[in-house]
Amino acid sequence: MRWRTRADPPVPGSAGRGPGGGGSTGTTGWAASRVNGRRGGVAISVRGLTHRYRTPTGPLVVLDDVDLDVPATGYAAVTGPSGAGKSTLLSVLGGLEPLQEGVATVGGTDLCGLHGDDLAAFRRATVGFVFQHFGLLEPLTAAENVELAGALAGRRPGERRRRAAELLEGVGLADRADHRPLQLSGGERQRVAIARALANRPRLLLADEPTGNLDEGSALSVIEALERSREEHGCTLVVVTHNRGLAARAPQCVALDRGRRVS
Amino acid sequence: MSWRDVVGLAGRGVRRRPGRAVLTVLAVALASALFSALLTVSRTAEVRVLDELADGGPLAGIEVAAAEPDPTQVDEDDADGGEPRDLDDAALAEIAGLPDVETVVPLVSTGVAVVPPDPVTLADGTEVTLQGDGDSDADGDEGGRRGMLFETVVGADMARAGDLPISVLAGRLPQPGSLQEVAVTPGWLARFGLERTDAERMLAVEIEIGAPRSFGDTIRGRWTRAEIVGVVAQEAASGVLLAPIELVTTARGWTLAGDDRFDLPSSPYSGAFVVARGLDQVASVRNDIHDIGYSTSAPENLIASVQRYLRVVEIVLSGIGLIALAIATLGIANALLAAVRERRREIGVLKAIGARDRDVLRLFLVEAGVLGVIGGLAGTLLGLGLAAVVGMVVNGYLHSEGLAGVQPQIPLEIAAAGVIGAGLLAVVAGGIPARRAARLPAREAVDA
Repeated sequence: MRWRTRADPPVPGSAGRGPGGGGSTGTTGWAASRVNGRRGGVAISVRGLTHRYRTPTGPLVVLDDVDLDVPATGYAAVTGPSGAGKSTLLSVLGGLEPLQEGVATVGGTDLCGLHGDDLAAFRRATVGFVFQHFGLLEPLTAAENVELAGALAGRRPGERRRRAAELLEGVGLADRADHRPLQLSGGERQRVAIARALANRPRLLLADEPTGNLDEGSALSVIEALERSREEHGCTLVVVTHNRGLAARAPQCVALDRGRRVS
Repeated sequence: MSWRDVVGLAGRGVRRRPGRAVLTVLAVALASALFSALLTVSRTAEVRVLDELADGGPLAGIEVAAAEPDPTQVDEDDADGGEPRDLDDAALAEIAGLPDVETVVPLVSTGVAVVPPDPVTLADGTEVTLQGDGDSDADGDEGGRRGMLFETVVGADMARAGDLPISVLAGRLPQPGSLQEVAVTPGWLARFGLERTDAERMLAVEIEIGAPRSFGDTIRGRWTRAEIVGVVAQEAASGVLLAPIELVTTARGWTLAGDDRFDLPSSPYSGAFVVARGLDQVASVRNDIHDIGYSTSAPENLIASVQRYLRVVEIVLSGIGLIALAIATLGIANALLAAVRERRREIGVLKAIGARDRDVLRLFLVEAGVLGVIGGLAGTLLGLGLAAVVGMVVNGYLHSEGLAGVQPQIPLEIAAAGVIGAGLLAVVAGGIPARRAARLPAREAVDA
């Protein structure tokens, strides 16, 4: 299967099943299911997910037979100690790396067999990422960082400028649009990262320790921004966090330990 | 991702580390400067050397003498003529009608009496006199004045002087049609003990030129006053004076009207200078002229040999420049590899938000290209500047030796090759780092 961006022509047979019903694959489904800018979330279904990394001493199992279900527009927190496999789970769900073993569907799309450009198209069209380290490009302003996601999706400059302004206003940073990341506080940078994650109207928002580098006050504002984004944009939200207090805010909590799901 | 976005992002990437970018650009610029300077100097030297071989005339120039060809010398560059043979308008028209002949410039020469001032006041106010006893041909028995010289004046159509093997050392050529202006050669300067370096000083000196006519036992001269407006190295024909053809034809006509005491050649033209369409056509044109019945000479074989040697020099110099460029592109590759190592997370993030491998590849290739083109542009300008400075230094030396200067040759193809070549080499050098960046997994966004 070949994933397509909004700028790409639709792929025959790739139309999805719509929001809430397992989601759609690619942009054709997005266009069909979008209502007033909302595309709806995607359901996540994972069965027997096992993932290994090659190390000099042999394969290292980081996810071992993990099962997971998150409903469309759901909100799940993934917790666990360091090395539990939380970030790897997020990477597989977000298409940062190919599925090795098991079954994983996101919005009805089987991630098995997606590689290279197909995975890139999946990430571009379906997923929005928020990282602990913010992942903002230093030479670009806040607005340009948000626009970059639109540029990668092939959107026209005027359209993505409007979208960036709208999103930065949504995270309370309209007046910091022309600031570079180093001119922003940690909390502000993470809110810019959230705005960037929402630039292409993702149906799945994945946040990897989004408050890991922030003080308590900033952490709260960031997690609130994520939750508000989920409500306003109708997307599914999965947050990896060490913070039990923040994890408790999610209706669904998944605990991992040494690659296995423990709750 | 559009090319415009890629270029914009690459530009930001270059500006992000100005120190490294400047050093990388500097390396490329120096290499490009060396490349363009070497080639420009080489090309200038080639033009100067060939110009010297062609005596300032066109490379495809052929001297035609008013003489029959010597059958044993027809293939030699500098052939001696055979028996005298009249070169008239009909013969010139026949030569002009040959295939591959571009122009035919007739030459007329005649003997005249010349009387310079005594002493000659030079342009800088100093005074010089004729060396020795005036002139060897001065002959009191024939009624010559003291200080009178018997010289040969060569006449040519000054409007077509560019087609003749004439190099201006100082001043200018006489105006076409002028009866009051002449140019002199270093041979004239030598009459006064002057060197080529003194050429400027001889300008504006007025001399009297007399065309002699014999009336039995009496010789009378038709005198005209002329100003020396230039000093030239001319090899069109032998003679220390160069004048417009009108002046020489008038003088010759006056002399011919007398009896045959001066034994002037009967040929209306003493020779002609023929320009072939190209160096490759010189041999065939010479053969055709020989067939018509006139002796020719042209430095075609010498020029061809020198051109081959100069080509070797140019290849060697190009090779040196290319090696410098190659070293500079290795610098680009090194800088980009370092950038890829430093930007693993950034590359991962780009992929996480949707960049494809080819987007990342293009980004790094464009960064390399930007560094290469900027370096190439700066280096080419620097190189051309260096070549101009070298040209000035060389000109200073040549002028001090009384030789014609050089005009730095700045071929557009060298300038374009400097810029485009540096850009292309940079893109090639950026290939490996760019592929490495493109193959980084998106997972780097989380891991790094």
